Amino acid sequence: MKSWTRREFGCLTGAGLLTALSPRKALGQAKARVVVIGGGIGGATVAKYLAASATTIDVTLVEPRQVYTTCFFSNLHLAGLRPLEQLTHGYEALTRQYGITVVHGSAEAIDPAAKTVTLNNGSTLGYDRLVVAPGIAFRDGSLEGYDEAAMEIMPHAWNAGQQTRLLRQQLESMEDGGLFVLVAPPNPFRCPPAPYERASLIASYFQRRKPKAKILILDAKDSFNAQDLFQDAWNRHYPGMIEWLPAQFTGGVTAVDPKTRSVITVGATFKAAVANVVPAQMAGRLAQQAGLTDQSGWCPVDPVTFESALQPGIHLVGDAIIGGDMPKSAFCANSQAKACAFAIAADLAGSAQFPAHLFNTCYTYLAPDDAFSNAISFKPVDGKLKSVLSFISKVEESAEVRRKAARAAEGWYDAFTHDVFG
Amino acid sequence: MRPVVGFAIATGFVLLVSQSGAAAGADQGAQLAATCASCHRLDGGGTGIPSIIGLGEERLNSALLAYRAIERPNHIMHAIALSLSDEEIASVARYVAAQGK
Ligand SMILES: Cc1cc2nc3c(=O)[nH]c(=O)nc-3n(C[C@H](O)[C@H](O)[C@H](O)COP(=O)(O)OP(=O)(O)OC[C@H]3O[C@@H](n4cnc5c(N)ncnc54)[C@H](O)[C@@H]3O)c2cc1C
Ligand code: HEC
Repeated sequence: MKSWTRREFGCLTGAGLLTALSPRKALGQAKARVVVIGGGIGGATVAKYLAASATTIDVTLVEPRQVYTTCFFSNLHLAGLRPLEQLTHGYEALTRQYGITVVHGSAEAIDPAAKTVTLNNGSTLGYDRLVVAPGIAFRDGSLEGYDEAAMEIMPHAWNAGQQTRLLRQQLESMEDGGLFVLVAPPNPFRCPPAPYERASLIASYFQRRKPKAKILILDAKDSFNAQDLFQDAWNRHYPGMIEWLPAQFTGGVTAVDPKTRSVITVGATFKAAVANVVPAQMAGRLAQQAGLTDQSGWCPVDPVTFESALQPGIHLVGDAIIGGDMPKSAFCANSQAKACAFAIAADLAGSAQFPAHLFNTCYTYLAPDDAFSNAISFKPVDGKLKSVLSFISKVEESAEVRRKAARAAEGWYDAFTHDVFG
Repeated sequence: MRPVVGFAIATGFVLLVSQSGAAAGADQGAQLAATCASCHRLDGGGTGIPSIIGLGEERLNSALLAYRAIERPNHIMHAIALSLSDEEIASVARYVAAQGK
């Protein structure tokens, strides 16, 4: 097959363009089949950009749920500021506009030798390339007593949807003066600022509706992301309402007792009116079962192509990977997904690959009208994803700057979900 | 050379948004614009973050250079612009400018 260099591409005339861009099709070859497992942020983005990159690729997206509810902005729902329906997105545009086949099912097994994926309904899908983006799972046994039944009493709300709704209902029915306990997980975990954003927004809700309520954060860590920005905001907006206890104070959370809604640390037991327990995390189950994880519980990948370091021909993006300096955020998952899609498309077409631009921005709410943001760009350096530029809002920024960031965040949500789900 | 490139780029976009497409993956401007699409809607819609559709190549170019030099202060666009080479800025500006047409 002829591979097209950039120079040749630039010199093509209009007439030659269409054929030139679809070398496989022009030669009458079969389309390449790419299967993407997981229709979350990473998976949906890979599917869309692969389908948009070439008509010569047949894209199938496997996702059990009919709709996806975003974790980002779900803290606004917990504060009563956004209905969950506004955070819920379907897959119709991916099919209609991009021709992606969406299969609503769960992938149960991968056979890398036969290049097939088996679904929970017993059917199998063959692939030329596979992308796996299963998000996170919770580590078994990291908190004694925190099983599936306990999650219905002390929700994690770390996957959005039913769990988010449950936690919101509990917060709404809590009496004024009640204690809300948030158990924050050890590193690495999905969205480093999110537990503290959650505490901030729930505090804003309490301040409006239950001003005598208290928030206790029991952390598995001794420090956290953007701590100075959060603690400054807690003092300004919610004096005396939020208490944060690092692991060095409590010895860490070891167990929960759903019957009494208690959280047990090495030194003490805290009885909560509402408890939000976010346990330790690892890559999604399928990644564990398919041998895509190392001893850390996460998936090592090539930082340019996002191909698994353990299973050739299988690519991974999103929270499940060992992202080096890239945090586990929706923005990073989306950014990795584009780089991965362009790498796969270039490889299948035998064409040149341009250097990828990997980026992260998280808008984080401290109060409904007070948000901050960061901006980090990453590059592959010696096989790892390294942060090369990093900026973050300052503690001393004006209220006006923060108000503008809160409005920009809303614009980001709209553009970003449009980018992922079409 | 210009008109030919212009044609390729415009075609790439039509193909990028319609499922009958082929070209986005082969075009550096399109790939860079994909990074902008995480924050700026490329269909011209959007609120809260300014639209970059219909600005024209010159304005896009000079805005990115101004953000890079912090003549226009904004840490997000500063980081974006700093991560792009001059050629990449020219290429993404050319591609994005072609989207309004
Ligand atoms: C409270 C909170 C706030 C957040 N705020 C932000 C924010 O402001 N900005 C930001 O950038 N990020 C934010 N995040 C992080 C963001 O939600 C995640 O980083 C992002 O969703 C990761 O994308 P992913 O594709 O890896 O996983 P997910 O989006 O979780 O997608 C994984 C998908 O895979 C599917 N799946 C799993 N197993 C299988 C299987 N076997 N077969 C088929 N499908 C399967 C699941 O159903 C799911 O749809 C926040 C997270 C939380 C919890
Ligand atoms: C992380 C989010 C984000 C990404 C990614 C992003 N931008 Fe922006 N952009 C913004 C924000 C926020 C502003 C408003 C900044 C300000 O207040 O000056 C902006 C402003 C701009 C402006 C000024 C618009 C005007 O009306 O003058 C241009 C031009 C621009 N961006 C181009 C781009 C291009 C090109 C890309 C991709 C290479 C890009 N942006 C990627 C967030 C982003």
